[in-house]
Amino acid sequence: MKRLSISVLAAALIFFAGYAALFVAPDESTMHAIQRVFYVHVALWSAMYTALTIALIANVAWLATRQMKWDWLGVSAVEVGVVSCTGGLATGVLWGKPAWGIWWTWDARLTTAFILWLLYIAYLLLRGLLEDPERRATLSAVFGIFASLDAPLVYVSNRLWRTQHPAPVMFGGDNSYLDPTMAKVLVVCIFAILPVMIFVLVDRYRLERMRHEAEELRLAMEDRTEEANRVVTRSTA
Amino acid sequence: MGTGRAAAILLAKELRLEFRTRELLTGTVIFVLVVIVLFSFAFDPTSADSRRYGPGLLWIAFLFAGSLMLHPSFAREQTNQTLDALRMTPVSPFAILLGKMLANFIFLAIAEAVLVPVFAVLYNVPLGGVAGRLALVLALGTLGLVITGTVFSAVSAHARMRELLLPLLLLPILAPLLIAAVEATAALFAEQPALDPTWLTFLGGFDIVFLTASWLLCDFLLEE
Amino acid sequence: MTHFRFLFAAWMVAWAVFFVYELTISSRLSRLRDEIDRLKQQLGQK
Repeated sequence: MKRLSISVLAAALIFFAGYAALFVAPDESTMHAIQRVFYVHVALWSAMYTALTIALIANVAWLATRQMKWDWLGVSAVEVGVVSCTGGLATGVLWGKPAWGIWWTWDARLTTAFILWLLYIAYLLLRGLLEDPERRATLSAVFGIFASLDAPLVYVSNRLWRTQHPAPVMFGGDNSYLDPTMAKVLVVCIFAILPVMIFVLVDRYRLERMRHEAEELRLAMEDRTEEANRVVTRSTA
Repeated sequence: MGTGRAAAILLAKELRLEFRTRELLTGTVIFVLVVIVLFSFAFDPTSADSRRYGPGLLWIAFLFAGSLMLHPSFAREQTNQTLDALRMTPVSPFAILLGKMLANFIFLAIAEAVLVPVFAVLYNVPLGGVAGRLALVLALGTLGLVITGTVFSAVSAHARMRELLLPLLLLPILAPLLIAAVEATAALFAEQPALDPTWLTFLGGFDIVFLTASWLLCDFLLEE
Repeated sequence: MTHFRFLFAAWMVAWAVFFVYELTISSRLSRLRDEIDRLKQQLGQK
């Protein structure tokens, strides 16, 4: 019941945000309609940064406390971050073609973002190749911390260098300006996507916790079977 | 035993080990040579092109060589479980890591010292006036490479498919370093060779940040 | 509206990434739940 009501709330938020982005937000002077991708594009990247920050906290917390729940949170947050990053890249590409005429370019922003995507996919691959749960948690936490050193670089890349990608429109100094209505719509969209992200994150966390439970049960089964076999061989000896 | 002294002793051990057979060094040098030659098939190395593509080609070759050469760094320890033995000595984990980093740096530096002149000859890139400054750029870049590479070699040592995993982990994280190193090298190959301060600072910053991170996390890297 | 196709595609993609991801999680969750129930039953019996 609670799950259903949260889903409905999330759906309502998305609907509301979508309506705002498509109809409430003013028309932009150079790109007109296609500029509206801005709202979902920036929202996705905000979701990614949030997820990756959660992942970093989880990685450090695991190393500090050795409580398995931090490892579960870590992998869930990274996966959600990769999903958001994929969305961010895809929406960026779909915006770039009509706006710039090219699908892609290797400027600082796009390059660093793409590298970030690769880095966290590498994190997931690393986890897949490490078998012992404790070691997997520790080593992926270490790698995760190293990987998060790249994230700030993505954020500042269009402040430090001139890029094909637009310069910052918020917190970017004198030249950055965002129309107030647009800013409000953007905030709405970000606050719509964050609950969706958290919802998915919690589900993924539950999945990870359940995997752990299943693994423990499987090990208990193996122990029981071993016990049973030993009893059998003893009695037949 | 102090970290510095321990690292020096471990470095000496690594060097002795390698120079007994020199298989890693020769393998690395030959590999980079092959890569450099293969690249010449991909584009015609006239002098103008060389200045443009040369730096990128050089650093990619070193990056590949590095990731191949770094993998045995910890894998070697696993055959006779020598790492466990090391851990039982009163040597700090950072000393172990530092010893390996320095050893890898020396190996890669030797390979580069052999290969840069070869590259200069094959691609007609004049290195006369810039040798010292080029050495600085090479040193800073290689340092970043071995710091990160040694750490990730430890990370991937326990994983399956670690020969493939190490480059997979290493290359994305080194991409910013690669860009900086290529730009700095390109500035030295230009008509008016000059040391680019921005990229040099970036390289130095990268090295310091990653070395610090390695120091903070070294205990977890060398755990049981 | 200019470039409406791209705008539509972008919004669909944004929605789809989360939706598809959530679907994969849900299916794995229900399969695991079944397996855990099965294991618990077996352990209860043995």
